[in-house]
Amino acid sequence: MSEPRSRMLAVGSGRPTVEVVEAGQGPNLLFLHGAGGVVWAGALPLLARHFHVYAPVLPGFGKSAAEGLELIEDQLELFQHGFDVMEALGLDQPLLVGESFGGWIAGEMAALRPKEVGKLAVLAPIGLWRDAAPVTDLFGLEISELLPFLFHDMKSPAAVGMSQLTKLMSDKDDKTDEQVEQLIALLMGFRTAAKFLFPVPETGLERRLWRIRVPTLVLWGAQDRFIAPSYGEIWAKNVKNAQVVQIERCGHLILQEQPEAAAKEIQRFAGI
Amino acid sequence: MKFTWFHLMPYRWLPADFRQRYHSVWVDLPNGLYDPEKGHGLYNEYLDQLEYAEQCGFDAVAVNEHHQNAYGMMPSPNIMAATLARRTSKSMLLVLGNSIVCYNPPTRVAEEFAMLDVISGGRLIAGFPVGTSMDINYCAGQNPATVRDKYREGHDLIMKAWAAREPFAFSGKYTKLRYVNLWPRPIQQPHPPVWIPGLGSIETWDFCAEHDYNYSCLSFSGYKKGEALLKGYWDRRAALGVDDNPHSAAFFQQVCISETDAECEKQWWPHVDYFFNKCLHLYPGTSEAPGYRTAASLRAGVVAQVGNTSANHGKNKSWKELVEGGYIIAGSPDTVRQQIEELIKKLRVGHVLLGCQIGSSPAELVNRATRLAGTHILPKLRHIFSDFEDRWWPKPLPQSRRAVPGATL
Repeated sequence: MSEPRSRMLAVGSGRPTVEVVEAGQGPNLLFLHGAGGVVWAGALPLLARHFHVYAPVLPGFGKSAAEGLELIEDQLELFQHGFDVMEALGLDQPLLVGESFGGWIAGEMAALRPKEVGKLAVLAPIGLWRDAAPVTDLFGLEISELLPFLFHDMKSPAAVGMSQLTKLMSDKDDKTDEQVEQLIALLMGFRTAAKFLFPVPETGLERRLWRIRVPTLVLWGAQDRFIAPSYGEIWAKNVKNAQVVQIERCGHLILQEQPEAAAKEIQRFAGI
Repeated sequence: MKFTWFHLMPYRWLPADFRQRYHSVWVDLPNGLYDPEKGHGLYNEYLDQLEYAEQCGFDAVAVNEHHQNAYGMMPSPNIMAATLARRTSKSMLLVLGNSIVCYNPPTRVAEEFAMLDVISGGRLIAGFPVGTSMDINYCAGQNPATVRDKYREGHDLIMKAWAAREPFAFSGKYTKLRYVNLWPRPIQQPHPPVWIPGLGSIETWDFCAEHDYNYSCLSFSGYKKGEALLKGYWDRRAALGVDDNPHSAAFFQQVCISETDAECEKQWWPHVDYFFNKCLHLYPGTSEAPGYRTAASLRAGVVAQVGNTSANHGKNKSWKELVEGGYIIAGSPDTVRQQIEELIKKLRVGHVLLGCQIGSSPAELVNRATRLAGTHILPKLRHIFSDFEDRWWPKPLPQSRRAVPGATL
């Protein structure tokens, strides 16, 4: 399996320059990451066997400088940034895939300029709210406490891998410089997510869901404890061409916890 | 030297097993624990203490703002300052302060501070904190990624509103007002002195230097750890080419004053224990929202005001450790005076904010401490730094032009 390439992409003056992680050959797949950034593991390498995967990185994540976030002032500019990146990459009606935070952005992009998106696949997207099923507070938990909300099986390889990171969050003053930088990187990414989702991640998307007319796949982990699978029903009810599919034995981070099943569903939906 | 009596107003009846049953004193501590009738007594007791501080010779009395917090029961410091404005006449009123970003529009702060300044005859010191992350992000829902930008804009609007004598339009990113036109406006000209509470961020020091504001270092770790912070402050001012006037800085210090060294620990320990082990019991998950601190501040390893749990070194410490570490200054008036003098000289601060009430300390103990401070400590330290002009002190109306509460009845 080929390693992904990473490059910096300038999208225009006065707009943020961002990292793009890229791999594979085939139809274009534009992937919008969640609050953890682009993790090249799990389903992404599998998808790169069938698609040309482009994973742009929002300011504050990966190699995209946190300062770039100041150039994205509000929701609208965030969605426009998505299209700026798409245009700079020369993508015409790609399969747009978004996970969690990125799922929200992908849905909004499809609602905003429906003719520029080929198909839409959202994985446990956020942006909606029901008082009866509050979305977990991403910004009000210790990282170690957050993990059980992200994974169904805490013994799964992805969960075990991620729990290593949480050790960084101890309140002991014994971190190496490298660990401090890792911690700051994590916080800067969360800061970007917070800019659009703090304190309650209800974004107004529900009023716009009807505008999504492209074929849409909504994937949800059947055991998602971060944002309940019942939110999928709101998508099913409001998005005309939506298929909602639950993946068993799976929590919120679908691409990490059930990579094969997730990749298979996306390929099936894309007709590959 | 000027001495300010600073109240936090803690709730006194957190249960013995508080730390086992609840994860934080702040943000999400169920308010079922709060008894309003007890709170009634407590507010009045605490306001008595502040009024008594004036009688004992303190130069100012201070209140601050916290939300959803059992150790700081002043979500509206302005209400407290308003009662003090009527019941005091000599001491200055330090409101440290109003969290600008929580007020919409921020002209509310300009208005209320102007009211306090006018009611008190020009005795107000206006504090403008960014606010702790618990207060402004988790309790007030302000966005951590933009809150500092919003703070700066709100500050600029308030200062412009105080200065203007004609209505003006303000088109900011966070606030748009077609007509800004403050009624009333403050007595003090060009504006009441401004103090900025903070801990050790370079951004705060630069902001104070740029605007000639007082930097008030509010730490619960005491003067021995504070020395490094103030060194940073003075070094930064030197680097910026700004004067080293000691009155540009204030330092908060908790003190336990008894008649003799021998009886101090016995009298104060339960209340000190209550403060460090209950009042500073914080849940890390809601102590700092991502983006609250800049990457530069994080990298510098600067601790958040009180939020970062690694900063709460006062937890699980013995009386001896707290005293030796300078977290508290404790003992007879002589002992306390010596250490405050050391604080003043080592940190080079022209203002000391004394926390004379600590944790669950009862009225009698606190009032005695205030009296001892006023009689035996303050008079002996006032002369220090008297050759420097204090540009950060209110300029009230002379007594002859002041209204007397009740005089028209």
